[in-house]
Amino acid sequence: MSNLQLEIKQMIIETLDLEDIEPNDIVDDEPLFVEGLGLDSIDALEIGLALQKRYGIKLKADSEDTREHFASINALAVLIESQRAI
Amino acid sequence: MANATVVDGVSRLLRFKLQSWNAFAPGLDSQSAWREWLLHPSDLPSELGKTSLKQIPPMLRRRFTPLGRCAAGAALPILEGVDAIPGVFASRHGDTPLTLSLLEGIASGEPMSPTGFSLAVHNALSGLLSIARKDVSEVTAIAATENLIPNALIEAATQLQESSSVLCVIYDVPLPELYQPYSDSVDFPCAVAMILTRDEGDDFVVQREESLNDTAQSDGFSGLLRVLCGLESSVSFGSASSYWRVSRG
Repeated sequence: MSNLQLEIKQMIIETLDLEDIEPNDIVDDEPLFVEGLGLDSIDALEIGLALQKRYGIKLKADSEDTREHFASINALAVLIESQRAI
Repeated sequence: MANATVVDGVSRLLRFKLQSWNAFAPGLDSQSAWREWLLHPSDLPSELGKTSLKQIPPMLRRRFTPLGRCAAGAALPILEGVDAIPGVFASRHGDTPLTLSLLEGIASGEPMSPTGFSLAVHNALSGLLSIARKDVSEVTAIAATENLIPNALIEAATQLQESSSVLCVIYDVPLPELYQPYSDSVDFPCAVAMILTRDEGDDFVVQREESLNDTAQSDGFSGLLRVLCGLESSVSFGSASSYWRVSRG
């Protein structure tokens, strides 16, 4: 697990009040929503806001790209890396 | 009887049966604990403290604010084994600690939490319980500045025309300090849950009265609980506009 992946997991746990979950419980390439971690649509909005606050990333709620970015921890890491590269 | 039960063709008296009840406050989570506390009252903490809510899956449990945990703590034990039941959810002030934190966020220019916003509506708690219990029965969320308890019971008892049983949950937490000079509220988090039915349980009556009974309670919750615990046979509620009595029938 890279530092960025760990950072994202900590952000998600903190933002979404996932009290009973440790970073190690979240698998890098597993789905975050519905299956896997089991987050819901309100969580998606909350993560979107956290990405904006912490990394300055603005996402369109209805775009297909956003769905892909939110697929897993790894996908979020790719998104954040790509924004940093700009 | 001093009050006519029918005035101008309109009945001033509503009967229902109480199948079960439960109440929740910090340290008080059983009927016997409530009875003991009512007989020997002591100050209760203004904060809810830890609650388990083990009936709710963890991913959903995190959405319950102290107000919601208090109300759910009262309601869930009497809902065990109940598949589907319509609900009346009544709170005078609603989740003011949450709405105040959202307003403070706006004031300091922070973007608003979508979760916080979604939970700030008056029917948020009934929605969470509906999801948790997979119960799609209709819910009604009410607020009343005055006479919250009789109004909630009237709403629930009226719904017995449509359903054979109705859940009625009445709950409040203390107002944040900022609001306290402007309104009164409970001294401690408190919730009462009752299942009203057409034909199962103890007889109860809600009735409108012409004047305030001497035994009128300013603190509605403990007055109602004294009746539920069998320490009194009736409790009166009054405001500038109307007077009500809830009694065992």
